[in-house]
Amino acid sequence: MSSFLPAVAQQLFRDIQKTYEETSQIPDDLLIALKFIFGPCVLQALDLVDQHSVTCLSSPSGRKAFQVMGGSGHLYTCFESCHYCPCPAFAYTVLRRNEGLLCKHILAIYLCQAMGVTQQESVSDQQMSVLLSGTAIPDT
Amino acid sequence: MADILTLVFRTFMSQEATAADPPPPTAGGGGALLVGDHSIGRSVLLLAAVTAASELGVRVVFFSQTPIQSVPVSLQKCVPSLNPESLKKIKFSYPGTAEELLQQVASLHESVCPPPPSLIVVDRLESYLCAPGHPPGERSRAAHLSALLCDTAAFCTQALQQQSSSSAPCRVLASFQSDCGPATDPVLDVVDRYFQVRCSLTQDGGYEAAAAGLQQLWHVCLSARGVTDAKDCEDRLGVGQQWQLLVFPGGLLEFKLV
Repeated sequence: MSSFLPAVAQQLFRDIQKTYEETSQIPDDLLIALKFIFGPCVLQALDLVDQHSVTCLSSPSGRKAFQVMGGSGHLYTCFESCHYCPCPAFAYTVLRRNEGLLCKHILAIYLCQAMGVTQQESVSDQQMSVLLSGTAIPDT
Repeated sequence: MADILTLVFRTFMSQEATAADPPPPTAGGGGALLVGDHSIGRSVLLLAAVTAASELGVRVVFFSQTPIQSVPVSLQKCVPSLNPESLKKIKFSYPGTAEELLQQVASLHESVCPPPPSLIVVDRLESYLCAPGHPPGERSRAAHLSALLCDTAAFCTQALQQQSSSSAPCRVLASFQSDCGPATDPVLDVVDRYFQVRCSLTQDGGYEAAAAGLQQLWHVCLSARGVTDAKDCEDRLGVGQQWQLLVFPGGLLEFKLV
């Protein structure tokens, strides 16, 4: 997924990962850099991280996806390798207005991955397909 | 993905062309989006699918709303060595709606045997995504489908490389015809985010085609899109190259590097 980020953002997450491994904190200078690059959704994303809202789902085939519990209690399924979120903010701010790189849910995923605090959960291959497609698979 | 297109173009160049031997397919992944008239786009997609199956020996999944009743005569003429064994490597699937396409792409990871596809083709993305008046949610649906294709290709790449470390990445190739012009189409703007390379197909409106005895003459241009290393694209994927696609009476296709 990082190939969808500009190089400066990729480096920032690497720095966060390294620092967090050593100190279990994100220092002020990195927080300021996060705000500078990603804007106002940073605080909301950090809240989601604090609430352990990000789960990495994996299925027996090896396929993975992320689920993020939003502030409203809605579960959003995001992809492992590229930026997509079904939330209204992604549709409006990123896709329609082209004013942001990502929404708070995708940012929370990056932060959790960098900090090593992503929850893990297993699902079946069929459940994974349903989650990825965002539709219900009819009985066959 | 442009490496498969470039392989297709070089494979079907005229014998009089003075270009060097075709380069081997490189490790460039990602997707390529064919933008232009859907009839010629479909021909190029089929050529790419058949070339991948017969020349590279890889599995292909081909999604289209319109069933392919038989191998087009033009394709048979272009690929005289086409054989049933190659065609068996191509799985044709005809989802009727965007939901069905999402379900089928999302389910590709479920099959362990046969191995995952190395090429995922989607004919006429706009037929799944666009509705008159651009209703709300259209952009989000376009992003969902495009991102799912991208993520599925990344998964297939990983699965293929686990089976053989020398496997080439899985690629996505899709066509899109814009009704309101590529520069202003909001759905195309969203789809573009997820494809590394755009292959623009523009029909020549002058007299060159008729003068050369051609049925049609198309200009083909590969350009880099999205967050990518443009120089790397030029070097590895032939991006920035311009080609001509010559369609002869009888349907024979030929590519010429400009």
